[in-house]
Amino acid sequence: MAAADQSLADLDERALVDACLANQPGAFDLIVERHRRPVYLLCYRFVGNHEDASDLSQDVFIRAFRGLRSFRGQSSIATWLYRIGVNVCLNRVSAKTTLGKLTDPIDDRQFVDAGAESAPDRILKEERAAQVRAAIAQLPPTQRATLILRTYHEMSHQEIADVLGSSVGAVKANFFHALANLKKLLRDEI
Amino acid sequence: MHLEEEELVDLAEGTRPESSAPHLASCEPCRRQVGDLRAMMSAAADVDVPEPSPLYWDRLSARVRETVATEASPRPWLDVAAWRRVLLPAWAAAVASIIIVVALGSRLMAPPPPPAAPAAVVAKDAEVVDLWNDRASDDDESLTLVASLSAGLDLEAAGEAGLAARGSAEHAVTHMDDDDLRELKRLLMQELAPSGD
Repeated sequence: MAAADQSLADLDERALVDACLANQPGAFDLIVERHRRPVYLLCYRFVGNHEDASDLSQDVFIRAFRGLRSFRGQSSIATWLYRIGVNVCLNRVSAKTTLGKLTDPIDDRQFVDAGAESAPDRILKEERAAQVRAAIAQLPPTQRATLILRTYHEMSHQEIADVLGSSVGAVKANFFHALANLKKLLRDEI
Repeated sequence: MHLEEEELVDLAEGTRPESSAPHLASCEPCRRQVGDLRAMMSAAADVDVPEPSPLYWDRLSARVRETVATEASPRPWLDVAAWRRVLLPAWAAAVASIIIVVALGSRLMAPPPPPAAPAAVVAKDAEVVDLWNDRASDDDESLTLVASLSAGLDLEAAGEAGLAARGSAEHAVTHMDDDDLRELKRLLMQELAPSGD
């Protein structure tokens, strides 16, 4: 089994997808294991709470499994999963207004391990983070997706364009407007 | 002429050196915009996502694995071929029934032909109703409906449904002439009439 896992780990992405399609044990597990954290973080950035982010992450991988045959290898598996993730998240946030649940309550976070920070500093930082999260949640969907992918996932403009199915110019324009709108939303708060 | 949005983004991200945009040095609004963009990028970047429990990742993998295993196992109710095997003959049989009912109905309900000269009768006796090639049936809406419903049937499906070729009972029923149909109607009425016993 260990030898099989080792051989799977040596496969390039296209071969790994082919192994999944051939029902090779552990192949899709490996894809999930490699990408579960960034997919979860992407979902969390969209919906702002663990429960929904967890459900959406699972949904992303299930959809990816169902769509394995459509993976052409023209983009990386990560980009492909991000594309699925953005679509799943946009469908979710457009299906219901999650603003009330978009940020885990600040009160719940005041008692987490403060580490090296003092309690007041920690609280201030959390309040500010909650304000920014709430502001990001109010951005139009495409601007929000662009901001999240660029800021938190360090994707290039070209990669974001691939995920969103748009052009580099459109991605930069969306990023500009996302930041400009963020400033308006936070004007009275930061 | 102020800088374009794309240029401002490139300058704010540092992917383009400020020295490549001489306008920036002389334009306070553009400099302010670049500064605002950087401030918002910094504010957004400072927002962390609470890290879930280390045990969470394996639970997520396990949930995905279970769902994928369920989907990967064959499910008879999702087997398209199985559905096709079941539904196609049933569909074909339904269409065949419609054809027979419509054919019989249209002939049984038709008014009896006026008396004709013996020679004409002989000619009419030889005339056989052919549902597939009867040009008059082109004007019959019910037959048009039947034709469209049965258009997708192939020979195999029709065979499975009992629509046999010439010489079969089904073929005979759908190709009766007027006298045969009247006799059939009489026999049916006789059978359906309340018994005197």
